Amino acid sequence: MNLERLPNEEKLTLCRKYYFGNVYNVCVWGFAFLPFLWLVNVVWFFKEAFVKPTYTEQLQIKTYVKCSGLGFLLWVAVLTTWITIFQHFRAEWGEVGDYLSFTIPLGIP
Amino acid sequence: MISVIVVMTIFLVVLYKYRCYKFIHGWLILSSLMMLFWFSFMYLGEVFKTYNLAMDYPTVAMIIWNFGVVGMICIHWKGPLQLQQAYLIAISALMALVFIKYLPEWSAWVILGAISVYDLVAVLCPKGPLRMLVETAQERNEPIFPALIYSSAMIWMVGMANPARHAEPTNQDTGMFCLISAYNPLALTMLRGVKLGLGDFIFYSVLVGKAAATGGDWNTTLACFVAILIGLCLTLLLLAIFKKALPALPISITFGLVFYFSTDNLVRPFMDNLAAHQFYI
Repeated sequence: MNLERLPNEEKLTLCRKYYFGNVYNVCVWGFAFLPFLWLVNVVWFFKEAFVKPTYTEQLQIKTYVKCSGLGFLLWVAVLTTWITIFQHFRAEWGEVGDYLSFTIPLGIP
Repeated sequence: MISVIVVMTIFLVVLYKYRCYKFIHGWLILSSLMMLFWFSFMYLGEVFKTYNLAMDYPTVAMIIWNFGVVGMICIHWKGPLQLQQAYLIAISALMALVFIKYLPEWSAWVILGAISVYDLVAVLCPKGPLRMLVETAQERNEPIFPALIYSSAMIWMVGMANPARHAEPTNQDTGMFCLISAYNPLALTMLRGVKLGLGDFIFYSVLVGKAAATGGDWNTTLACFVAILIGLCLTLLLLAIFKKALPALPISITFGLVFYFSTDNLVRPFMDNLAAHQFYI
């Protein structure tokens, strides 16, 4: 997929679909726990939104890129907090900690 | 095992010829789905166990879910080229790992050799299934399934009658590969850049992986790696000369196997002896 070859409207549609995270433009799936998708959206459309000279659809693309970026940062914050909490308190939680664990390190409580 | 691959190749070509596209698409989607989710889950588990890290189910679920969904979107729909390439490489590597882990010792080598021969036959003979697949795709002027092909560059030129020489490799999900070069001056859309079938990647990776796992020595692994690269360059050269569909497997795999066995049996004792006697060249 080479972005330069697409006409502007298609770029907008693509960006929007990536933002919402689904193919059929139904909002429901959009926020389906997919921070990685938002990251791809930001990286891919960054130049389009902020570096290139203005064109009609650019404003909307900018909004989508910004919202994707915000969503991604939010998810990063949430995940970092959860991982820190889990790693720190895993031993103290006893049974619940074991139940949540995918792998349990050997030799360390 | 070989018969399974042969049967599946022929089956795929028959389906393609009779335009059972839905079936093929469904099968491709299912297999890539399985690979993205299940195999990466297993791989991740192994990695965490090796490094003795604790990991919880929710985080793992998030990682695999993101990886899988974005992978499906990238490969089967639209996505940035580099990301698509990265995903295809990742899938090939995972598949190769599965082969290396679960195939018995000698079977892997025999299979590599047999598949190269089959590839040669299937692509170059006029009635070979792979050749028919490629020719049918060219007749109908449609691109071969994106999930099976790794393309190095994608430039769509609409409306230009530019005689571009491009190589189109196709590969089967079962692992057959061929490198195709089609000369198509009148097509409305043309693809430039080299396209290599995914199966080729998988078998190259299997070769190098087995060399690394059982050779036990960096020399062997490096020799195999270099051999495969040389084989690939030669294949591309032949592609430029012949401008037809070419099997990408045989040359590289032959070189790789030859280098592996010779390095393993000749070079290693030589180096060991040299090191033991403290004799540096």
